[in-house]
Amino acid sequence: MTRPAIELRGVTAGYAGRAVIRDVTLSVDAGERVALVGPNGAGKSTLLRLVTGLLRPTAGEVLLDGVGIASLSREAIARRIAVVPQVAQLPFSARVEQVVALGRLPHENPLRGPRPADHAAVAAAIERVGLSALVGRDARELSLGERQLVLVAVAVAQAAPVVLLDEPTVHLDIRHQVDVMDLLADLNRREGATIVAVLHDLHLAARSFTRIVVLAEGRVAADGPPDVALSPDRIRDVFRVDPWVVGAAAWASVPPR
Amino acid sequence: MRARPIRPTLVLLLALLAAACSQAGATPTPPATPSPAIPPSPSASPPTAGFPVTLTDYSGTDVEIPAEPETIVSLTPAATEILFAIEAGYRVVGKVEDIANHPPEAADVPVVATFAGVDIEKIVALEPDLVIAGGNGGTPEDAIERLRALDLPVLVVYAADIEDVFTDMEQIGVAAGEAERSRDLADAMRAQFDAVDAATRELDRPRVFYETGDQPAIYGVADDSFVASMLELAGADPITTGSSTVWEMSQERLVAEDPEIILLGDAAYGVSPEGVAARPGWAEMTAVEANAIRPIDDIVVTRPGPRLVQGLHGLVAAIHPEVEISGASSPPSSASPAASGG
Amino acid sequence: MASRGQVVAPASSFPSAGLIRRRPIVLGLAGLAALAVALAAGVGFGSVAVAPGETLGILTSRVLGLDVTRTWSAATEAIVWDLRLPRVLTAMVVGVGLAVAGATFQGLLRNPLADPYVLGTASGAALGAAIAVLIPVRIVFLEFGLLHGFAFLGALGSVVAVYRLSRIGGMAPLTSLLLTGYALGSLMAAGLAMAMHLSGAALRQIFTYLLGSFDAASWGRLAGAAPLVLVGVLLVMSRARALNGLLLGEETAAHLGVDVRRERVTLLALGSLITAAAVAVSGLIGFVGLVVPHVVRLLVGPNARLVVPLSALFGAGLMTFADLAARMLGEIPVGVVTAVIGAPFFLVLLRRSRTGYEL
Repeated sequence: MTRPAIELRGVTAGYAGRAVIRDVTLSVDAGERVALVGPNGAGKSTLLRLVTGLLRPTAGEVLLDGVGIASLSREAIARRIAVVPQVAQLPFSARVEQVVALGRLPHENPLRGPRPADHAAVAAAIERVGLSALVGRDARELSLGERQLVLVAVAVAQAAPVVLLDEPTVHLDIRHQVDVMDLLADLNRREGATIVAVLHDLHLAARSFTRIVVLAEGRVAADGPPDVALSPDRIRDVFRVDPWVVGAAAWASVPPR
Repeated sequence: MRARPIRPTLVLLLALLAAACSQAGATPTPPATPSPAIPPSPSASPPTAGFPVTLTDYSGTDVEIPAEPETIVSLTPAATEILFAIEAGYRVVGKVEDIANHPPEAADVPVVATFAGVDIEKIVALEPDLVIAGGNGGTPEDAIERLRALDLPVLVVYAADIEDVFTDMEQIGVAAGEAERSRDLADAMRAQFDAVDAATRELDRPRVFYETGDQPAIYGVADDSFVASMLELAGADPITTGSSTVWEMSQERLVAEDPEIILLGDAAYGVSPEGVAARPGWAEMTAVEANAIRPIDDIVVTRPGPRLVQGLHGLVAAIHPEVEISGASSPPSSASPAASGG
Repeated sequence: MASRGQVVAPASSFPSAGLIRRRPIVLGLAGLAALAVALAAGVGFGSVAVAPGETLGILTSRVLGLDVTRTWSAATEAIVWDLRLPRVLTAMVVGVGLAVAGATFQGLLRNPLADPYVLGTASGAALGAAIAVLIPVRIVFLEFGLLHGFAFLGALGSVVAVYRLSRIGGMAPLTSLLLTGYALGSLMAAGLAMAMHLSGAALRQIFTYLLGSFDAASWGRLAGAAPLVLVGVLLVMSRARALNGLLLGEETAAHLGVDVRRERVTLLALGSLITAAAVAVSGLIGFVGLVVPHVVRLLVGPNARLVVPLSALFGAGLMTFADLAARMLGEIPVGVVTAVIGAPFFLVLLRRSRTGYEL
């Protein structure tokens, strides 16, 4: 059996002595598409930071492809995992293509810089995400949604086998939300990329992902297909809203893409 | 800092000598011979006598001068005056800017240094055989190092006290090849200083505040400083700042000391007796009530050159106007004394 | 084929990319040409007029060792070779150092207003110099006096102090660094004021140092400072990838494979070392480190692979021209000239800068 792309074994972690993630055991196999949902403060972003090695667990182990993350260099992690952050600040003017090119950093030779393959990957990423019309524009002048797409393009250019997204659709209109989800599905099907997306939009999660992991108060409250993980009872318990608000009954009837 | 030794018998002898030398004395407008007249040398010394010579200067460096310098650059106004006084002025090819523009014969000498800095290029281009610089920061040390690095002999002089003025004068004379003239000049000056000392020694000493600046605070005279010594020689009891490094004068301390005479060394910067009398808190001072506030030409009091005697005489005239110094004429810078503390 | 790592996709995909790609090369050549002119002008002009033919003759005979018949005097040769040439070269080295240090700190702190002195290096150097002036001991080592040594140590010491102090507390590292730098800088400025108050006659020395100048440049000092600056600059250039990674923030940089903690310390150390060496040799000259990287970024974008070398080039040129102007305008302090050139530039930049730059 091949080792899972991402694995957490009994991980507890937090900040300033306060545990945010408690005893979480979770594994994501290569090629899976997983949505990570949960109420505010559940620990979703913390989980992402654990998986990328930015946070060390106080208990338990995090492994990437069966290798303990503590023994991996930042570069090695960057070649395995690409992250689309929620927000990123640009202190200087930069053109869209220059920002997207940052995704190639893990592949760049520190002294020699990018090569033709890197330039090609950047161009391809820009096209794939649909940003061709924005080439040459100052990234700081784009709309919020366009900027979010740029961050997605950075991750695409990084061409890592695992893509983690931290609420990538916050500023996108419905058209672009669907586009990003379709893109993720495409990456998953064609390149076999492993996708883990933190989403706040339960509909989007249920529609686009076959596996939902529900995080609540630092623990895994549910893990399975949408109709199981987001059952009416679960919605009531975890999200503290009436299931009809979310239209949970509709999960079963919507075929996942 | 060396204290001046007291030699009573010598003082007496020199006092007699001073009385005898009727032409000696500070002349406010320079006649044909500036500063105290130098007794003519008995015989012309051979031009190359005394060279090569090695002198240890203020910076502790042994300065080698292989031959009598034909071209000299002077980087202190005092050195310029000294060189002209010992008849080496025609050899001065570069000088530092002098606000007093003295002596007038030096007017045509090109300026190679100002307060802003020393123009090394210009000095190098003049190819001087000797450069005289000021110690204790008078000439920037960097400039002295650069000149020495370019193999120019640099003699650094600095007068920490009055006796230094004379020995520096003699040293410059030796360096320039006018040892005898400078020695005579120094001796004549020593004689006049001793004469003044003798004349004022037994007098009552008024408390004198010598103001050296008034912006942004009042500046006086530091303890054991050159100016303090001058004031003492002139028969004053100088009010000093209480520190040997700080020149700022605490106004409270000044009021407590209550000067009987105020000398305005900063008169050249526009400070007037009326302005001083109007300062808040000063009206009660004896000096202000008695209107004993006198402007003084600060340059001759502080410049370690041939006109220092003139400065001393100016101080005496301002502090003890009743004293007659043979050969001294009242310098134009002192106000006519009214009733002053005696 | 862009050999210096142009971060742009192949020309076929993007219409204007061809023009954009060529710009750095054009700029590089223009910078080199300007530098050559600056060198020639700096060596050829001064307060003493030297005929161009003589200057050329002196340079060829000294540099190439050719036996040229000397039509000039030893004094002229001393002026050109011992005074002007080391001065011009020192100005270039300091210009390179300050511009690259500025670019480094701007990239590291992700702040366009950062300059080489932002972490207290200026105050530390000034305080060191002032203390040295108060000490009546005279030590000279390789033509560096106590003043240079203390200025160097003061600059480095202040950065170390800022770095250590900034780690206390839970603030974001970058913000903490900047604020601590400001606080410590103010404290050291107070120390400097005290030292100046106590200095008496030596005040002028401290003042000259604060204004910055190349008057004291010599071959010996150049040999001492240049290796530090040039090696530091080369090392910064080798870390261009990390600087680029930091563009989107420290977390994103980590996600892109940058060992943020190590790079932060390394870049901080390199930037500080370069600044300390420059400041020890020539005092505090401002604006070059702030303005040059900015202008370069406006022209070629934020890619550190271009910004660092071009900043070095233009920093050298600007400083040399500024020093020449300072000399010809009557020996005014070079810091005044750089301020006069730099401040209007800076104001223009401020007007043009975007408000808010979240991505």
